[in-house]
Amino acid sequence: MVDVNKLREKAREVISREDVRELIGYRPGTYGFRARPAFVMGPDDTGELIFTPACVNNLASYIVLEEKLPVKRGEEPDLRKVAVMVKGCDSRALVQQMEEKAYDRDRILVLGIPCRGVVDMAKVQAKYPDVLEMGEIALEGDKFVLSFNGTKEEVPREELVADKCLRCRYPTPLVYDELLDEEVERFADDDFADVAELEKRAADDKWAYWEEKFSRCIRCYSCRNVCPMCYCEDCVLDRLQPQWMRRSVDISENTAYHISRAYHLAGRCIQCGECQRVCPVDIPLMELNRKFYKDVEDLYDYEPGTNVENPPLLSTFKVEDKEDFIM
Amino acid sequence: MNGKPRIGVYVCHCGTNIAGTVDVEEVVKFAETLPDVTVARNYSYMCSDPGQALIVDDIEKAGLNRVVVASCSPRMHEPTFRKTLLSGGLNPYFLEMANIREQCSWVHPDPIAATEKAKRLVEAAVVKSRRLEPLDAKEVDVEPSCLIIGAGIAGIQSALDIADAGFKVYLVEKEPSVGGHMIQLDKTFPTLDCSACIMTPKMVDVANHPNIELMTYSQVEEIGGYIGNFDIKVRKKSRFVDIDKCTGCGICAEECRMAGRFPNEFDENMGMRGAIYMPFPQAVPAKYTIDKESCLFLTKGKCGESPKCKDACQAGAVNFDLEDEIVEFKVGTIIVATGYDVFDARLKPEYAYGVYDNVLTALEFERLVNASGPTGGKVTMIERGKKKKKKGAEEEAPKVPESITFIQCVGSRDKSVGNEYCSRVCCMYTAKLAHLVKDKVGHDCEVTVFYMDVRAFGKGFEEFYDRVRREGVKYIRGNPSEIYKKGDKLIVKAEDTLTSTPLEHETDMVVLSVGLVPRRDNREIIDLLKLSQTSDLFYMEAHPKLRPVDTASDGVYLAGVCQGPKDIPDAVAQAKGAASAAMIPMASGKVKVEAQTSFVNEDTCRGCGFCVELCPYTAIELVEVNRMGWPVKVARVNEALCKGCGACAAACLSGSIQQRSFKDWQLLPQIEALGVK
Repeated sequence: MVDVNKLREKAREVISREDVRELIGYRPGTYGFRARPAFVMGPDDTGELIFTPACVNNLASYIVLEEKLPVKRGEEPDLRKVAVMVKGCDSRALVQQMEEKAYDRDRILVLGIPCRGVVDMAKVQAKYPDVLEMGEIALEGDKFVLSFNGTKEEVPREELVADKCLRCRYPTPLVYDELLDEEVERFADDDFADVAELEKRAADDKWAYWEEKFSRCIRCYSCRNVCPMCYCEDCVLDRLQPQWMRRSVDISENTAYHISRAYHLAGRCIQCGECQRVCPVDIPLMELNRKFYKDVEDLYDYEPGTNVENPPLLSTFKVEDKEDFIM
Repeated sequence: MNGKPRIGVYVCHCGTNIAGTVDVEEVVKFAETLPDVTVARNYSYMCSDPGQALIVDDIEKAGLNRVVVASCSPRMHEPTFRKTLLSGGLNPYFLEMANIREQCSWVHPDPIAATEKAKRLVEAAVVKSRRLEPLDAKEVDVEPSCLIIGAGIAGIQSALDIADAGFKVYLVEKEPSVGGHMIQLDKTFPTLDCSACIMTPKMVDVANHPNIELMTYSQVEEIGGYIGNFDIKVRKKSRFVDIDKCTGCGICAEECRMAGRFPNEFDENMGMRGAIYMPFPQAVPAKYTIDKESCLFLTKGKCGESPKCKDACQAGAVNFDLEDEIVEFKVGTIIVATGYDVFDARLKPEYAYGVYDNVLTALEFERLVNASGPTGGKVTMIERGKKKKKKGAEEEAPKVPESITFIQCVGSRDKSVGNEYCSRVCCMYTAKLAHLVKDKVGHDCEVTVFYMDVRAFGKGFEEFYDRVRREGVKYIRGNPSEIYKKGDKLIVKAEDTLTSTPLEHETDMVVLSVGLVPRRDNREIIDLLKLSQTSDLFYMEAHPKLRPVDTASDGVYLAGVCQGPKDIPDAVAQAKGAASAAMIPMASGKVKVEAQTSFVNEDTCRGCGFCVELCPYTAIELVEVNRMGWPVKVARVNEALCKGCGACAAACLSGSIQQRSFKDWQLLPQIEALGVK
């Protein structure tokens, strides 16, 4: 467990540094067990910072999504570092962003949080639908301890933990300047059994399955907006000349949207699962992304976001690359 | 834009190539109905003079401003029809081709379906042509100089031709001497010319030619730029001998404390050399080199009281302080003539090469029969790794083999080692070596050749093969399965496949006719020049038939075996071809570069660098620009380097890199026209 006092002290020290502009961390939400991102601009803002199993957001997204306003004439751009708190899974987004030269390593200051799992807020919500006042979640051993209304309840870890944590390969951040807790050894692995299960289905069956899922899409673009790997200045999907897909919400355009996005993430998705988490209509987007992830791993022995030195998968080729899937 | 599109559609019969399957009349009728199509015609051969005249005539009379030719692949005739447009006074990039031959009539047997597909392809071309834009092919100046990498027979021949024509040549050779593999050979087939006798004059010529700057013991480290303006960086490795002072007298080598301790690479490790050495007496330049891996002074920091070579050198040429030198220069063209390696016979363990002393590769045997080789041309039984006898101790006369057996196709035509190709020289060099055995060892020496097929295809080859058989060389058709030892003798286990007789052939010495393989250090040149390879991993030419010495990179040419196995006359012919190809841009002084290049929208590029990594021509780099006050990295295309392959445009996730004539908004209607209706 991260000691919250130590965390705030470290945050205060970091944000007080002259070469740090901003610190991105977590603070409690406004109801229930939720936590939300905190954007700390000065040492006095650090008092609310927390890290608990409710801190599900991948904060790496904010580094690349921050809008860079035009620099006023006569002024210099503020190029100081951004400090960011990341879990193991989130740190891979930083690694992948740097592989893709989104920024240089010295532009960020990483406060790494070794993590043994966060909750799936949907599962918490389903189990405690009526908790509206602020509650707290802690992970103690293999149980989540939920405190609310002056009571404490223990729930087995498996019941509330996010699915991605059950197959987490990198619990300790792969990139950091400082770790806020003891390193956590790898405690799980990913066998992609769920993907294998989907692959077995007949083509028609798969089509029917996805048609139903995509037909729900309201094209809110939350999945794109939250994704740490979707950070083009100008997304091709927004362009009118040429217009790759219309904005109309229908099965054909929705399908084109989701498939394009999955392709754009091939060899880049680091499986933080944010897209699926934020989807208001519960489209299982990670099933698509995980299929690509598995294929990339099987075909090219490549795992996105694990080594800054690796060139991005789709920018390279080797003579011995498999090509038997080309028709 | 040049006003409202007025499109001419020309459907080619290509004799019966297209018209035999596709109903060209119907395609024309269909084309007439498409928007903006002003004229649509068909003709038996659009590429012929009258065919082209039709187009020129229509451009003038019907006021066409777009031309669609439905015929063969653009790889075939796009340049032809571009010229047609130009002679009609139209920008040549207002041409769009629909490939209704390779992609339609040749692959679809059903005339009705083929005609339907042809219509679709024509419609797609028509809609794309409406969005074509005029382009200008830029011209760049060409530096009148050529870099040649590799100074074997091919590199030397190219160098001499280009230098004789009056252009500057930089000839770079990795080894201490020029000459390559050819100078290792004794005689050449089928004429039995002495290899050294015909080679050494050329070697001396490249050293003395006023237009050739020879750099031996040197390696190309960096190549930048593009046709006409390549920037070259060469590392001249230190020989620790000042070659301006060295007279080549050889006293240093005699004095070297390590003399005779190291296998001489030039002799295929059959002979020995010291730490300071000249690979062979006719080396060019005739200068000594200290091998820093084996020199006592350079490895241990101490060589007796003082290095004997240095003390002995009266010219004062030995200098242990000499360092590698980097030279930089500009050239207009590059010829790659890096040659080959011989097949590593260890990969065929059944032949026990490296196990039995008297199983040799043909190149080793070549050194053995060579008068300037380690045995002075005497073929004797080999004792590998034999310690040098103390001076004065009596040397036992080595035994002469009574029978020698050759095995052909070792490492060639052999899928088990990944080499499907024929090495093209082994049949004939085997015949030559067999002849040399009869000539030098004596007619009594029994010579047997195991072969799969004898490929005597060249000028004078069959006659030579006949002659060798008449000299008593026994040819047995069969691929031996194993070599083992029985007493003093080697046993070659095989089957005579012409009589279906299994046999165990007893012999004193086995010579493996090893094939030619791409150099093991091929990668270095590939990385420098981004060359492609064919499936056999030799360098790939631009077109197997019509552009055999060009590469996909303009201004870079191939000569010799680096492009594929060939014998000396073929290597020389290709070298002369490469020289002449390289001289075309140098002589004209100017060259047109690709117009259908890529360009970057720097406002939306996010500088991920995928395109930089992918570009096969190193045409893209990341540069820092100011975006509303913020320093950001964006991709920038060097248009002189860009060949218009489109890899960058396909990979760009934000769609910020586009290729002229293939912009997204030009391609989309084309795709739409091909889609389901």
